[in-house]
Amino acid sequence: MKVRFWGVRGSIPVPGPQTNRYGGNTSCVEVIPDHGPRIVIDAGTGIRKLGQSLMDDACGEGRGRVHLLISHTHWDHIQGLPFFSPLYTEGNELHIYARQREDRHLQAIFAQQNEGPYFPVPLESMKANVDFRELVEGQHFDIGDAKISCTRLNHPWIAMAYRIDVDGASVVYSSDTAPFTDILLEQEFIAQPPEPGAPLSPDDAKKLHAMREGLVDLCRGADLLIYDTQFTPTEYRQKPHWGHSTPDDAITVGRDAGVKTVALYHHAPARSDEAQDAILDQYQQATRSESFDIIATREGMELILGGGD
Amino acid sequence: MRVKFWGVRGSIPAPGPETNRYGGNTSCVSITTDRDELFIIDMGTGVMHLGIELMAGTFGNGGGKATVFLSHAHWDHIQGFPFFPPIFVPGNAFDVYGNARSSGRLEAILEGQMNPHFSPIYTLKNLGSNIVFHGVHPGESFPVDGVTVDALENPHGATTSLAYRFEENGRVFIYASDVGYPQSGPTKEAVSFYQDADVLLHDCTYTPEEQEGRRERGFSSYADAAAAAVAASVKHLVMFHYDQDYSDDTVDELQAACRKQLDNGGGSSINLTAAAEGTEIVV
Repeated sequence: MKVRFWGVRGSIPVPGPQTNRYGGNTSCVEVIPDHGPRIVIDAGTGIRKLGQSLMDDACGEGRGRVHLLISHTHWDHIQGLPFFSPLYTEGNELHIYARQREDRHLQAIFAQQNEGPYFPVPLESMKANVDFRELVEGQHFDIGDAKISCTRLNHPWIAMAYRIDVDGASVVYSSDTAPFTDILLEQEFIAQPPEPGAPLSPDDAKKLHAMREGLVDLCRGADLLIYDTQFTPTEYRQKPHWGHSTPDDAITVGRDAGVKTVALYHHAPARSDEAQDAILDQYQQATRSESFDIIATREGMELILGGGD
Repeated sequence: MRVKFWGVRGSIPAPGPETNRYGGNTSCVSITTDRDELFIIDMGTGVMHLGIELMAGTFGNGGGKATVFLSHAHWDHIQGFPFFPPIFVPGNAFDVYGNARSSGRLEAILEGQMNPHFSPIYTLKNLGSNIVFHGVHPGESFPVDGVTVDALENPHGATTSLAYRFEENGRVFIYASDVGYPQSGPTKEAVSFYQDADVLLHDCTYTPEEQEGRRERGFSSYADAAAAAVAASVKHLVMFHYDQDYSDDTVDELQAACRKQLDNGGGSSINLTAAAEGTEIVV
């Protein structure tokens, strides 16, 4: 399979010369199995250019089939969807998968982005056929030959991590998440975060422990682990309740799960290319003796896993 | 008035080397008035960078005050709002004017953006600063910090977008983004609203050719902007809100074509600027 990165930025798109190399578009990753349907993870602004590229192919003729896995519906993970060209061609199919919500159906959540006064084209008037499949954590399902599994993450309003196994290779997408040590992030708004390192309630500690176990299980032996590493350790200590990790957190999960490559992802909007280079360099030096590689994702990067076709 | 451009792009931010010169951030313009008051027009992603700069001054310690004018609530005009750092600082005060029949309706529109499904902020109530909303009634001028403000409801596809007129000490700046005139050209109402302005900032999303297949979207071509500028005898036309797929080189071509359009249409004395992120003009 091939993995292509169309948007690697967190929170908000950041155009400008300072992000030319890693890219300023928000989250979007394409997974292309050697055979069968294409899988896309998250629909940040990066999905706009992915959509344009798909229009050169079956999507341009109204024969496109795209499966879109959504980690969660924060803006930076869905804001590109109204600008996804295949939606405007009749005959195309878009299957959207995301975690089931307590209060309303996924369709209603996605519809709001396209409603007036925010956007001129309502979801129901898109020419492509769009359907929604609600997931619960721990669920397993197939997309063509690909086996998909998922588990929940530690993020405000809860995000989902996905694993895709196909062509004898495996990739895990784990974004967005805080580490599983200092604070349990679910539905509640947290105005004042606890001091990182402060003791947790036994209930929260148990839940976080189980969540981390679930993630490590999901990542077990994966060829590629794409991980939310928006923060430096200093930034994390200031904002532990924002629901993002550091490269150290990605490394410990990757090590415990025995993955082959850890990929830094969901870069902070303020991170310049030079600063991102420095972070990558620092962690590559620090993990030289480990059994896995560290890379930093950037827009346009393409990785071939499992040898390819 | 000093007018600065923080985001000049339409529809969706367009990062990449091809937009480095004009910029890829969505719509945001600031005005520093003669009395040194701050106005912000639209809150596309460009407003984050304005906010970061403001945090170095009084907005950083809760002593800041600004007035925001929203043309309409399409995403590219409000998506920077939750990323505007001064909005989180207790003590800062914002008056927000927008295209809504009532202040409650305007507040509800921005509240929808903060919904926990979409934003970790959950609700406007979690923003630390003091925000007062005001629905705008087009046709009724109102004073803000010694500036006379007027609004006009321009056609914008199936909806409308507010153009704003700011007059201070006899100088006039007009913000008219996201406007799609009828095939016949700028409306009488628009021309009279823009009349004799010192600076007219105008929607220039498309070339006339590309506009043809996309009229229902409600955007202008540079030819519409030039026609409006000539008809209203403005002194200076500023091009704004470029299509997300236009590279810097394409915007250069748009500007050259717009210059030609002005010259051939009787507007050779009109100054022309293609707005670029980070640049400033004095009205």
